[in-house]
Amino acid sequence: MAAVYTAPVQALIDELGRLPGIGLKSAQRIAFHLLKLPAADVHRLSAAINDAKARVRFCQRCFNVADGEWCPICLDERRDTRVLCVVEESRDIVALERTGEFRGRYHVLLGAMSPLEGIGPEDLKMKELFARLEPEGVTEVILCTNPNTEGEVTALYIARMLRPFGIRVTRIASGLPVGGDLEYADELTLGRALEGRREFATDPAAP
Amino acid sequence: MRRPLYRDRGVVLRTYRLGEADRIVVVLTEQRGKVRAVANGVRKTGSRFGARLEPGSHVQVLMAEGRGLDTISQVEVIDSVAHLVDDLDHLTSALAMLEAADQLTLEGEPNAPLYRMLVGALRTVSQRGGPLVVPAFFWKVLAAEGIRPELDVCVRCGADAPLVAFDMDHGGALCRACRSGAPLGADALGLMRDILDGRLNQALAAPASAATHEVAGHAARAMEHHIERRLRTVAMFERL
Ligand SMILES: [Zn+2]
Ligand SMILES: [Zn+2]
Repeated sequence: MAAVYTAPVQALIDELGRLPGIGLKSAQRIAFHLLKLPAADVHRLSAAINDAKARVRFCQRCFNVADGEWCPICLDERRDTRVLCVVEESRDIVALERTGEFRGRYHVLLGAMSPLEGIGPEDLKMKELFARLEPEGVTEVILCTNPNTEGEVTALYIARMLRPFGIRVTRIASGLPVGGDLEYADELTLGRALEGRREFATDPAAP
Repeated sequence: MRRPLYRDRGVVLRTYRLGEADRIVVVLTEQRGKVRAVANGVRKTGSRFGARLEPGSHVQVLMAEGRGLDTISQVEVIDSVAHLVDDLDHLTSALAMLEAADQLTLEGEPNAPLYRMLVGALRTVSQRGGPLVVPAFFWKVLAAEGIRPELDVCVRCGADAPLVAFDMDHGGALCRACRSGAPLGADALGLMRDILDGRLNQALAAPASAATHEVAGHAARAMEHHIERRLRTVAMFERL
């Protein structure tokens, strides 16, 4: 296709189009919206992005977003260190914290396995998860990945890898609509799903 | 203008996120071949589509034709993914077959035999699994595409001698004098003959062994040779 836009406009559209959930049409719409805005508004947006990028980082322990070395949950000494809840993204922690049902710590994988897209365990914070179990005295791992294919394959894989650890492995349960994203579940459903979690990793092939 | 509606059966091969809560769903349909369609709101809690459009679902769909992408208007489940997602081996088997089916097809080219083989193989995985479901699917699909390895005599010299190697560059098994490619064990050769000579159920009942592992390797390499790229799912879980 021949170039339709000048180079700076095309560069902006390309960058926006790389964001999750933004297709070509949306990227074009947002780009032209930005170009129409007063310079001060655009500056505020770019400053907010730069500021967040500079000040927010990932917790050294659980990979939740943090403004220091550790996130607020890891810093909270009242949290139960024996129960670890594994989630795909930081935003899932927000959803689970709203339920008020969980008092343990979290581990954020920063994604889910997607074999069809070539996203495997080594692309996620998987090694870091296994390395936490013994030092923190974890006795139960709750797998709270999304109830869709990527989330299930991730949960099944972690359960298989946890076999030698002899830890209780549970999966967030019923009530969650399969195929949906955790972040869209309301806190009542999510709280019930957390409470009704079921034993996992009961693999018939287990030695 | 109302968009024309059509009804078809198909297997969901994969999905892509689209916008806030929608997905693009790639379906291998019986009549129209591979179709890409939009499922609106599918990621929201309480979506009317729910789990019906996850990879591996076998569904009856009502679709509206679009200029670019079609839109899914109704879905009914024929075979659910419930018994695919409850076991790591089942799920990785299913994903490997979905990936191969996706690579083997182009949009708008009907391939009813592939659709039927995929439905059958996914049902077998759901019901009992087993180490040779995926290799058998690969060999059967390749045979349907006209690629059938020579397993009875040496593919190079035609000798009716013991066959000790397997090389898809030559198109089958090789005798000691002509050998190239990968070594071929007698048990693996027997299982491959079972798969391709009409004793499929016997092959599918074989318990996991070094021979089934070998057959799986030959089948995956042959499929990759045919589609001219690596199968990501196979590479990811081969060492499991
Ligand atoms: Zn933390
Ligand atoms: Zn020979």
